[in-house]
Amino acid sequence: MTKEKKFYLTKEGLERIKRECKDLRDLKFFKTKGEMPKIWHSEDLNPEYLSFQEDLSFLETRIAELEYIFKNAELIKVPPKEKQNIINLGAQVIVRVDDQTDEFEIVGTLEANPAIGKISNESPVGKILLGHKVGDEVIVSSPIMTTYKIKKIKYNIS
Amino acid sequence: MKELLNFFIEIGKLKKIPRTGWLLIGVKNPETIAAHTFHETIMAWILGKEKRRNFNIERILKIALIHDLCELYAGDMTPYDEILPKNKKEWPELFDKWPRFSKIKKRKITKEKHKKEWQSLVKLTAKLSPKLRKEIRSLWLDYEMGLTKEGRFVKQAGRLTTLLQALEYGKESKGRPYKSWWTGSEEIIDDPLLLKLMKAMEKKFYPIEKLKKRN
Repeated sequence: MTKEKKFYLTKEGLERIKRECKDLRDLKFFKTKGEMPKIWHSEDLNPEYLSFQEDLSFLETRIAELEYIFKNAELIKVPPKEKQNIINLGAQVIVRVDDQTDEFEIVGTLEANPAIGKISNESPVGKILLGHKVGDEVIVSSPIMTTYKIKKIKYNIS
Repeated sequence: MKELLNFFIEIGKLKKIPRTGWLLIGVKNPETIAAHTFHETIMAWILGKEKRRNFNIERILKIALIHDLCELYAGDMTPYDEILPKNKKEWPELFDKWPRFSKIKKRKITKEKHKKEWQSLVKLTAKLSPKLRKEIRSLWLDYEMGLTKEGRFVKQAGRLTTLLQALEYGKESKGRPYKSWWTGSEEIIDDPLLLKLMKAMEKKFYPIEKLKKRN
């Protein structure tokens, strides 16, 4: 049997998945009844749902995908205080790299958005930072050999 | 049909627009936006075909084909636009490092880019039928926001297409290694198959002998 993939999500990420799943189930209900509420016709209001309005099979695929994610979701929790000096999922990290300062948040693949600093724990950099502490220097073993010096680690306690 | 014809004429212009990054590093006759799309679409299709991934291939192809239509009016924006020195001779040096910004600055740049590109896509698709317009815009949003596994996969495949091109330009010119594309990719790529491709690129473009010589 193949091992099921775990999806690590922040509390907000999990809420977003739940909300989208509910919205899309509602949409499917209205679509099959042939009574689309006005709100779903607005292109500005729900841009990310545009494609589901036209394509019922894609809508069903997306609902199935969200249900699969939800079933295999694991909430990213803030580690106990004594472990908050170590980089784990959910950590916000300040590093020095190539004589510049950068800020990352280590998240699961579904929430990764490197353009705004959210790095996947499965990317080479995300993976190698995990388990390290302030002061550590980690080198990504690639031809470029980029060194990340960890300056600060914090967790947002919500 | 008239509106479709106009649309085809407009998107055809992407065959002539060079990609900004290559201009900044001084490549002569660089690849165009449409040429990049061709490369990315084939890569995404072939790698996305792997059975156990269970991707919707039609969706992958469509996302790859339309993802850069927004650049027709918005231009091909790069992370370097913010930090370009006045002296053009200094531009290639910038690509020795992946540009770093604060969290606030990253969000600002991303938001502005997204807004400009969305407006460009809205303008380009404004006269298409509502069904086609909706489809193109939603596929683009998927690519931009990573709404589905297909959208996320194509975006990463696009990144590797760019890395491959950078490595080829580096080899052709025997010039700078353009570290930035490699470093950036190590923070972006997390798809297992694309990571394998990145490893293959490493072996091809940085053979052990070359690395020993460097060290």
